[in-house]
Amino acid sequence: MAYLTQPDYVKYICSCGQLKPITSLYFCRHCLKIRCGFCICHEVDSHYCANCLENMPSSEARLKKNRCSSCFDCPSCFHTLSTRATMAQPRQTPQDPAGGDTKVESKQPKKMYYLSCFNCRWTSRDVGIPDQPVASGGWPERTNPFAARVNQLLDYYKAIALQEKQEKIERERKKFTIRGKYITLTDKTGLTGAMARNIAGLPSSDSSCSAIANFVPSQASAEVEELPEDYYTKEVNLNQITSMPQRLASPEWQPVSVSRLHPLAKLLSVKRSQRCRVCDHNLTKPEYNPGSIKFKIELLAYYHVPEVKIISHEPVKAGEKTALLLKLTNPTGHEMQIKLLQPEDLPPPEEKEEPKSIEKSLEKSLNLEKDTSSYKAIEREPQYSVTSRVTSPPTALTLAQRDDAAEYDDDAQHDTTE
Amino acid sequence: MALYEGIALIQEKQAVVLDLGTDYTKFGFTGEAAPRCIVRSEFWCAATRRYRRVHDYQTADELYDNLVHMLHLLYFRHVLVNPKERKVVVVESLLTPTLFRETLAKVLFTHYEVSGVVWADSPRLCALTLGTPVALIVSIGAKEAEVAAVVHSCVVLHAMESQPLGAHAIHAELRRLLDEDNDATLDLPDLVIEDIKVKTCFVGSRSRAQQWEAARAARDVQFACGERGRLRVSGATRERAAEVLFARDNELASLPDIVLQCIMRCPIDARRALAENVLVTGGTASLPGLRARLAQELRHLVTRPPYASRLHVREFKFHGAPAQDSAAAWLGGALLGAGEAGAARATPRDVYARARRLRDWRERLMADFSTVPEWDHMAAVLTCYVAYNNR
Ligand SMILES: [Zn+2]
Ligand SMILES: [Zn+2]
Ligand SMILES: [Zn+2]
Ligand SMILES: [Zn+2]
Repeated sequence: MAYLTQPDYVKYICSCGQLKPITSLYFCRHCLKIRCGFCICHEVDSHYCANCLENMPSSEARLKKNRCSSCFDCPSCFHTLSTRATMAQPRQTPQDPAGGDTKVESKQPKKMYYLSCFNCRWTSRDVGIPDQPVASGGWPERTNPFAARVNQLLDYYKAIALQEKQEKIERERKKFTIRGKYITLTDKTGLTGAMARNIAGLPSSDSSCSAIANFVPSQASAEVEELPEDYYTKEVNLNQITSMPQRLASPEWQPVSVSRLHPLAKLLSVKRSQRCRVCDHNLTKPEYNPGSIKFKIELLAYYHVPEVKIISHEPVKAGEKTALLLKLTNPTGHEMQIKLLQPEDLPPPEEKEEPKSIEKSLEKSLNLEKDTSSYKAIEREPQYSVTSRVTSPPTALTLAQRDDAAEYDDDAQHDTTE
Repeated sequence: MALYEGIALIQEKQAVVLDLGTDYTKFGFTGEAAPRCIVRSEFWCAATRRYRRVHDYQTADELYDNLVHMLHLLYFRHVLVNPKERKVVVVESLLTPTLFRETLAKVLFTHYEVSGVVWADSPRLCALTLGTPVALIVSIGAKEAEVAAVVHSCVVLHAMESQPLGAHAIHAELRRLLDEDNDATLDLPDLVIEDIKVKTCFVGSRSRAQQWEAARAARDVQFACGERGRLRVSGATRERAAEVLFARDNELASLPDIVLQCIMRCPIDARRALAENVLVTGGTASLPGLRARLAQELRHLVTRPPYASRLHVREFKFHGAPAQDSAAAWLGGALLGAGEAGAARATPRDVYARARRLRDWRERLMADFSTVPEWDHMAAVLTCYVAYNNR
């Protein structure tokens, strides 16, 4: 039994030992086992924008850094921004200082667009972003202030790695036995051996790579930016300072001042498909269309495992018997035999494979065989505390198959009730 | 960047870089200039109906679950890629407890089936972002301030210093001062404290801190705080909250002290270079005025005992990393993972599957440094760190 807003009263033990309500369980039809979100494998199926419900192929999503090109979030409150249109009257729009000066050569009123948040009233005009002549896209993109330097560093380290690789091959060929201690030390630590050699003035590579030659290490300076003297006496305007979430929403810039906030291109969402780790079959596979909430494959426990509901129970008192009324529902089209067990009768989680001998695992990895033992999700003893004991009826119960007609008949009591 | 991405596509999937900080997690792709997301290291726990912090754990199992949930969030909500068959660069502090590393390895390899993990310590990664052979990394994070000297891409281990002088220390002090300002036990949630800190607090100059009474106090701020109404944040509080980092006592454990001690323990010929290549990084470093104050304190303290006679360094120079303060170590990871050398250092999954445990960094360093003559001395210091780690 599961509710939206209440705790989960009835929990099921997944094959991995986790306790979950039936609504978050799956049933693998191939292993005939209950699975849960913890012990299955999640995979990204497709990227889409949750706002405009537009699908994006994953190669495009990668290029666009998983951001929608037409939807934006408010940098102030993270609500979705709306595009608003205005008629730009050249010269006569003093309230439009940002967009007014550049593109008003033609004296005809033009439709211009800006972004606005209906939740907190932030607009793209607040921070001086000029209005755009087209409704979607075309918003100025900012580049990371450090991008150029980071690219230099990347080129530099890549060139060094390449150089080291070449040298290594060379060395191996020459059977270069006498090596300086210095080189050994840096060589062992990997990345910056060649760099250290460069700096130490040792002969660097023959392939004078421009990336290495032109690289300038960061220059330290004795000057440290101090707080301006009026910082202490200045009135603090809290509305002008961003909060941590606002800063971290754009990790590249982390603006401190509200005037530097920029619209955030909306992060895409993904549809996930889920796979049984043991047999590799899909447990769920969503439909491609972002607007659809249906699944192509949907092996939910709800459709296969009898549902248990607590209909009523008397207050439990120490040393006394009280009545507990359970309702079991068979969701399948087949008759079902059910036996109520005590916790101690529960079969223990499957014996885990003993760590194999080295030869055996080596053999396995040589065979390039999928070593499933290391993939398996952790299985644990289920954790629950028992404060009372349920005396179960000794006989097995038979649950009749689901009766589709029952759904149309209000009074019918087709479910077997115990 | 575009070219690199092209290459990555052909070669293998672009690796991800994970920096699981105490308060904030930085996550993104190698070869990029900034993390894709910086989010709080916490996730929504449906069972308890509250946010759970990844670093709050009692047992290994609990930590395992926390990490599974956190990584799920990062992979499927933020960077939107399949974790499977993709390498991970893990940015870690040298003082990361072994239990945490081992559990993270287990989660990455067995739960997410990543193809390899590169373990990289943050001081060396920070040094990578500079490209200088020698760097003194002062990293002020959530819990601790760590000072480490990186000389030719080796961390001088026995010189490493660490003190609980991070954001949490500032938060505790701010809490206390706010209670004083408002004459009440406010018991504000962490997020509100942090908000007050980032919006109002700063670090005053050394001269102001010296003649605290005489200096004209900074302006008070009325901080609107939901249903509690307005809180008074006095000018003194704004300025003094971060003073805990600079408070000196007989133990000489303030932030400038540990920086100087680190330099002092380094080989004599590296000291001057270290002092002239300081990088102050970590989220707390972005507190306005902190760098300037640290520079002033260093320049002053180095002329005083016990440093004046033993440390003949008079000049301090500071670097700026090409990244936001909180993401410098992450950027180092992104640089490391992008090169082939970095990828080659990954622990592949089959190796892990066989051994089922990681080589500890102590073991790794032992293997890497065994030719270094000072090794015996370092081994002795290492034992202290082991003790520290298990504390
Ligand atoms: Zn499970
Ligand atoms: Zn969209
Ligand atoms: Zn808004
Ligand atoms: Zn299966």
